[in-house]
Amino acid sequence: MALFKRLIDWIDVRIGAREIVAKELTGYLLPRTINTWYSMGSILLFIFALQVVTGILLLIYYVPDADKAFKSVTYIMNQVPFGWLIRMCHAVGSNMMVLVLLFHMLSVLFMNSYKSPRELNWLTGFILFTLVQGISLTGYLLPWSQLSFWATTVATNSVSAIPVVGQYLVEFLRGGKLVGPPTLGRFFALHVALIPAGIAALVGAHLFLLQRTGVSTPPFGQKETANQWQGDGYRYESHPGGIPFFPNYALEDLRSIFIYLACFLAVVFFDPYLFFPRDAFLPANPLQTPAHIKPEWYFLANYQTLKIFPSEFLGLAVQGAGMTFLALLPFIDRSKERHPLKRPLFMVCAVGGILLWIGLTVWGHYS
Amino acid sequence: MASNGRRTFLGACLGGLAAAAAAVTAWPVYRYLAPRPVATTAAKVDIPAKDVPEGEAKFFDLGGTSAVLVRKRGGELIALSAVCTHLGCIVQWEKSKQDFLCPCHGGLYTAEGAVVSGPPPKPLTKLPVTVANGIITVG
Repeated sequence: MALFKRLIDWIDVRIGAREIVAKELTGYLLPRTINTWYSMGSILLFIFALQVVTGILLLIYYVPDADKAFKSVTYIMNQVPFGWLIRMCHAVGSNMMVLVLLFHMLSVLFMNSYKSPRELNWLTGFILFTLVQGISLTGYLLPWSQLSFWATTVATNSVSAIPVVGQYLVEFLRGGKLVGPPTLGRFFALHVALIPAGIAALVGAHLFLLQRTGVSTPPFGQKETANQWQGDGYRYESHPGGIPFFPNYALEDLRSIFIYLACFLAVVFFDPYLFFPRDAFLPANPLQTPAHIKPEWYFLANYQTLKIFPSEFLGLAVQGAGMTFLALLPFIDRSKERHPLKRPLFMVCAVGGILLWIGLTVWGHYS
Repeated sequence: MASNGRRTFLGACLGGLAAAAAAVTAWPVYRYLAPRPVATTAAKVDIPAKDVPEGEAKFFDLGGTSAVLVRKRGGELIALSAVCTHLGCIVQWEKSKQDFLCPCHGGLYTAEGAVVSGPPPKPLTKLPVTVANGIITVG
């Protein structure tokens, strides 16, 4: 212990480490009414780290070549010791990341934490959400299975509904008229380099914004629930008398991460193929489209919306409008009130929107 | 004291659990990264005698490493490991000088594998050679 203290002293006199700890950890106070939903961000950071680690491990054996990709994935699953575990953690983790991200967004939505001065936090979070969808979509193609191939064919084809440039955009995305080896190269580069770098940068920006604005107070259990922000100047939302981030809330974060791990590992060990339909185990065949090809569960609502509308363009436009509305929500919703139960119109829209999304997802699954 | 004892005990339990969790995580990762057994080439190689004329050398794979067979002017056969004993580069046969040169750091060996000059600390490893019915067997 004496040696450890000497090491800390050595670092402290050089970079003032204790001052940083006092300011950012033990002295970083959070509202006393903070709840478990505030741990979602920490869980997401943990999942992202796990995805990066398992992704790097998969890169050791995966071959991004249309002739070898499926074989290399089969090799990882069947020949490499614990290859199945690494791949299942990566594949299940990607689904879990979307799920937890949705919970994170919903908690921010219902606690009205997106309101001023946190518009940029919401916006960066929303871009992160689209990037996570993008990284999931591009990763889906990499095993080069029937499911990968045809799900990517359908997903990329929907872009063709955009007037004038649609068809060119599809070819640009695919690197050719049809999904093929050039598509694999492009999606591989996006999946392992460009999008992860974008996610890491935006996570940094998101945390920086959180650090500058301070953590929002949950509207529950408060007498005054209106947003106090005046907009007359920069003001950090401090919480005098609050609970320290370290060790108090860090332990809460750790507990949430362990609960997540329990759920995650339950899927990995007891139902690893939960997210794998039969076509995920067949190599891609560009000449044989399997029946009832469906996207991942989180794209089922989009898939069903495209099917409902008679024109694909209309279906795409409606989705684009919905996404734009969500992205710009803090700029549209200017109400000062933050308690959801004091906002009936907000509750009707939010709950209605969630039910609509679930309904479309279920419909898309069984259609 | 009782409180301190309990704290120490709980700390030790937590440390033990953390160590067990780390081991459970590290073991699959180690096994995943450990080199896979690959089909190595035979530990003995047969080469037709006519493939190695006088004054020439033939390089080949022997049990997963590089080897060379030399027929000296005069007909003597010598089989050696082709891996330079300095830093593991593959030596090259200089036909005109009848010696081996390592292109990495200029290590020079005789046709028998003895060090002439340069940084190699020891000679090239000699390999057993037998000839029967026009077939040279190395290894």
